[in-house]
Amino acid sequence: MSFLLTCPNCGPRNIYEFRFGGEVKTRPDENTVSAEDWADYVYLSKNVCGVQKEWWYHAKGCGTWFAVERDTRDNLPVVKEENEG
Amino acid sequence: MTPRLPESPTQRISRENELLFFYRGKPFKGLEGDTIATALYSNGVRIFSRSMKYHRPRGLYNLDGYSSHCLVTVDGEPNVRGCATPLRQGMWVTPQNVLGSPRWDLMGLMQFFSFAMPVGFYYKAFHKPSWVWPFAQAVIRRAAGLGRIDPEMPEGVYQNRYYNCEVCIIGGGLAGMEAALAAAEGGVRVILLERRDHLGGDLAYRVTRSNEGIPPYRRAAMLAEAVSACENVTVLLCTSATAIYQSNHVTAVKRGGAGDPYRETYLEVRARSVVVATGAIERPLLFSNNDLPGIMQGSCAHRLARVYGIKPGNRMVVSGCHDGMLEMAADLAELGIEIVAVADGRSSGFDTELISNLHRKGIPFLPGTMARKAIGFKRLKGVQLAPTFGNGRKRWYSCDVLAASAGEAPLSQLLQVAGAKMAYDSAAGQFLPGEFPPGIHAAGKVTAARGEETIAAQGKLAGLMALQDLGLGRTSHIRQVREILDVIEKRPAGRHWTAPPVGSRKCFLCFDEDVTTDQVRDAIDQGFDQSELVKRYTAVGTGPSQSYLSGTNLPLLLADQRGLEPGAVLPTTVRPPVFPTSLAALGGRRYTSSKRTPLHEKQAQLGACFRLTGVWERAGSFADAGLSQEVENVRKNVGFIDVSTLGKFRLFGRDAVKLLNRVYAGNMETVTEGRLKYAAMCNEQGVIIDDGVVTRMGESDYFFTTSSLRAGNTLEWLAFHSKEEDWEAHLVNLTDAMAAVNLAGPRSREVLARLVDADCSNEVFPYMAVRRMKLCGEVDALVMRVGFVGELSFEIHVPASYGAALQDALLDAGKPYCIRPFGLDAQSVLRLEKGHVIIGTDTDNHSTLHDIGLSWAWDRKKAGNQTVGAPALRFTETQKHRQKLVGFTMNEAFRTPSDGSIVVADGTVKGRVTSSRFSPTLGRSIGLALVDPDLAVMGGTLEFYTDGRLNRKGLPEIKTFRGTIVPVPFYDPEGKRLRG
Repeated sequence: MSFLLTCPNCGPRNIYEFRFGGEVKTRPDENTVSAEDWADYVYLSKNVCGVQKEWWYHAKGCGTWFAVERDTRDNLPVVKEENEG
Repeated sequence: MTPRLPESPTQRISRENELLFFYRGKPFKGLEGDTIATALYSNGVRIFSRSMKYHRPRGLYNLDGYSSHCLVTVDGEPNVRGCATPLRQGMWVTPQNVLGSPRWDLMGLMQFFSFAMPVGFYYKAFHKPSWVWPFAQAVIRRAAGLGRIDPEMPEGVYQNRYYNCEVCIIGGGLAGMEAALAAAEGGVRVILLERRDHLGGDLAYRVTRSNEGIPPYRRAAMLAEAVSACENVTVLLCTSATAIYQSNHVTAVKRGGAGDPYRETYLEVRARSVVVATGAIERPLLFSNNDLPGIMQGSCAHRLARVYGIKPGNRMVVSGCHDGMLEMAADLAELGIEIVAVADGRSSGFDTELISNLHRKGIPFLPGTMARKAIGFKRLKGVQLAPTFGNGRKRWYSCDVLAASAGEAPLSQLLQVAGAKMAYDSAAGQFLPGEFPPGIHAAGKVTAARGEETIAAQGKLAGLMALQDLGLGRTSHIRQVREILDVIEKRPAGRHWTAPPVGSRKCFLCFDEDVTTDQVRDAIDQGFDQSELVKRYTAVGTGPSQSYLSGTNLPLLLADQRGLEPGAVLPTTVRPPVFPTSLAALGGRRYTSSKRTPLHEKQAQLGACFRLTGVWERAGSFADAGLSQEVENVRKNVGFIDVSTLGKFRLFGRDAVKLLNRVYAGNMETVTEGRLKYAAMCNEQGVIIDDGVVTRMGESDYFFTTSSLRAGNTLEWLAFHSKEEDWEAHLVNLTDAMAAVNLAGPRSREVLARLVDADCSNEVFPYMAVRRMKLCGEVDALVMRVGFVGELSFEIHVPASYGAALQDALLDAGKPYCIRPFGLDAQSVLRLEKGHVIIGTDTDNHSTLHDIGLSWAWDRKKAGNQTVGAPALRFTETQKHRQKLVGFTMNEAFRTPSDGSIVVADGTVKGRVTSSRFSPTLGRSIGLALVDPDLAVMGGTLEFYTDGRLNRKGLPEIKTFRGTIVPVPFYDPEGKRLRG
C-alpha cells in the first residue's frame, strides 16, 4: 500500500497521510428503518472488486473530508470526485 | 598490517590515518577508507567465519555485502556485513558462529559428518519421540546460527527520511550517472542512490582503457564531478534501495559512516519516474570445494588490489566467464601478482584486445576451460582446471587465490519487486527482466548491456525517457541516442556456462545455508523440481545473502539436472526488502512527543508529578500532599486543577445548530446564551463516544468542550458530518489557544469574587450558567459553573498566554481559604464519589447512553436533524441483555479491587470493574462496574476476582473481594453542594 491520493486542497499525497472513511453509503430513513436494515447500513460494506466511491480524510494534512472513486484492484487511477474544501 | 601496494589513483585509503581496532580482543591496525573485511585481510586474516550448518571455514568472497562469509559482530551488534562496513577507530569486532576462533573452530568437525546430514536432517531425525525435539532444538540452535543479540548493546541512533523528486535513479555507476546528467538537463529534481560510498560503479577501480578512450577511473571521476556540480541532483551514498512499490515509491537504507550522527537511515523516495541502473553481480562457479577461503569473486580480487591496495595473494588462478575477469587478470599482473593461469568457460566471444594483453604479459590463457576442483583444508592450496564441455585434459595448478565466476547476472531484484517478469535470454546467457511498469526504466548491466559506450548511451536514454514521462522529453534527443546505440558494434556474448561440470558433496550452491549440488539432486529425486520447491525444501537462498549469489544458479542447475533447456526453470520470486533492513531503521528515531499546557511550568513549581495521558503531560499529583489531602481540601476548602487539555471549540455558520443536533444526542435548539448544556455524542451504534458542555455565544455561534483526549477525533467527526450533508458550519479548534482551570470547593466563590468585579452569587450566577468576565480587571475570561468533581466549581477559560498568570492570581486570591492544587489522581477520586463517568474508562465499545444511565441526555423527539445513531439508541433501549453500569461499595472498607478486575458469579465472568478507588470522604472503597443485567440489582452482591502476586508455581494467586451495589452518586446525591 503506497499509492497516491489526490487531496482537493493539497494535490497528490502519500496514502499514509490519509485516513480511510469507508464506502460512501446512503443513510436509510432514520425514523422508519428496521433494526436489521440499520445494522446492515452500519456494519456491512460492499467491498467491490473494481471502482468504488469512498470517503477519505486528510488527517495528517489539511483536515479535509472528500469522496473519491478508487479502483480496488490496483488503486489506480484515483479519480478526483469533489473539488471543494 | 602487511605493506600495501604502491599508491595508485584508484585507491580510496588514506595512508596517513591509521585506525586502531580490536579483533577477537587483540589490537589491529587498518587505514581510513578500509572496510572491516579489508582491514582484516590486510592483517593476514583469511578465515572470517564458519558456515551455518557444517562449520566450514569461509573467507572473503565479495566486497558489497552480498555474501554471508564476512558477517561479524561489531560493538555488540550482530550480523554486521564486514565487507561493506567502513572501519572506525576503536571498533570491537568478534567472529560469529564459532567455538574458539574461526581458524580453530571446535565445531569444525561437523563438516566431516556432512554425509550424515542431508537436507532436513534435523527435522527428520529428531521428531520421534516428540519429547526429543525441544532438547535437540536447543543443541542445534547453538551449533547453527548467526550472531547473537547482546541485550546490553548500547542503543544506536536511527532515523527515517522522506524525499520527493521527479526522477529517482538507483545505482551510481556509468549508466546511473549518465541518466542523472540527462535528467538533470530537464531542470527537475533528481535523486541518485548509490550503495557504495562513492560514485563510479566498476569504472571507479578499472584502469584499462578501451580503444582510444580515457581510462575508466578518469571517466568515472569526471562524471561524478559533473553530477555533483548539478544543483538539482541529490546524491545519497552508502544507500541501498530495498524496494520499488506502487506509484514509483522507492525505499532504501542508508548506512551511517564515521562522521554521521546516525547508524542507519530508512528512507522513502516518491518519484515520478525511476531509472534502475543497479548493474550486475558475478554468479558463483560451481565446483568441488568452491567455498574454500582464498576463492573469491573476480571483482573482489580486483577491488582489493585497486581500491584498498591489498594483494589478494601471491599466486593466483582465474576462472571466469566474462571479459571483466580477463581485464582483472592482466591488471593484477601489472601490480606484481603472479597470475598462474586464466581459464575462461567460453570458447568464443571474448574481447580480443584483452587476450592479446594477457599474451603480452606471458599469462597462459585457456579458453573453454574452468575450475573443477579446489584442494586445501583451511585455505586454498591448488585448483584443477578442466574443459567446460567433454572430457579433456585436466591440469593442476598450485595457488593461494582463485578468482572464480560463472559470468554476470543482472541485479534485477528491484525491477522484479516492481513487477517485471524474468525470462531467459539465451544470447546473453542470463535471466533478464522484461515488461517494466509505467515510469520505470532500466539501463546498464542490469539489462545485460556490455561495453562502456553501450552502457553510457543506455543511461542517457533512460534519463531522457524519464523526462519524457514528465512531459519534458525531446523526441529528437531520444532519437539521437537511439541512433548511437544502433551504431555501436555488438559482439556476441559467447557460449555461457549453464551447468556445473561436476557434482560433489562439497560443491556449494548456497553458501549461507550450506546447500550443495548433491542435495539439490536429492531434492529433485524427491519431487521438488521447481525453484520455489527446492528453495523451501533445502533453504537455498533463504540466508543473509538472499538470492544474490544462488538466484541464477538454482534455476539453471535444476534445468540441467532435469535435462531441460536453460530457461525452462525460472528463478524464485523476489520479495522486498531486497537489501536487509534493520527493524531499528524502520522504527526510526525514538522520541515521544507530548504537549504541555500553558500552566506546565507553574504546576511544576508547585511540585507536580507529571504523567503522559494521551498527547498531554498532566499533573497526576503534587509532591507535598497526599492524595487524600488533595481530595479533602477540595471538599472542605478550595482546590484548583489545570484542565487546559479539554477540547475547546467554536462552531459558527448558518448550519451550526444543525450540525450540533446531528452529533449530539440532546436538543441543541434549546442551548441559550449564558447557559451551559451537558451534551453526549454517540456513534452510529448508539455507543457514547464523547461528552462535554455546549453554550451559545451569539447568532449561529457556539462554544463547546470535549473530553481531554477527544479533541482530534471530534474535529474529524464534526468535519465529516458537516461535509456529508454539505452544511455551512465552521469549526475552530481553540484547544491550544486557551488555558483552563477548574476552581472547585465550598470556598471557590469567595476566591473567584476576589478576582472579578462581577456578582458571583448563586442567584446571578447559578449552576450550569456561563459568564464572560474580566479577571483582575483586564483579562477576558469565560467562566462556567460546572460540577465534574461534585462541589461548587468554576471552570475559568482564558487565552493561553494568561494561563500562568491565572495560577498566580488564584494562589494569591485563595491564600486565606487554604487553596491548593490537585491533580488527576485526586480528580479521579472526586468525580467517582460524585458518580460521574469518564467516557472510555467507565464505558466501552458497547456502552450506549442507556447502559450508563444517561438516557436523559437523548432527545428523541427533537425536531430537525436526527442524532447520529438515533435508530441504534431506539433499538438498544429495550434490549434485555446489555451490560449496565452500577456503583458499588466494598464490603471490606479498605479493600480496593484494581481497575479491570473481573466480576464473577456462578463461575462465569459477568462483567468488570471500570474504576475503583478508596474514598477519603466516605471512608471506604467505592467503584463503578459494567455488569450483566441479572447482576445489576440494587443491593445485590458483586464478587470481584483480582490477581494477586504469583505463587511458587508461577501462577497468580487469585483473591476474591465482595462489594454491594448501591445508588450513585455516592456523595451528595441531591446535588446540594454543586448548586449551593
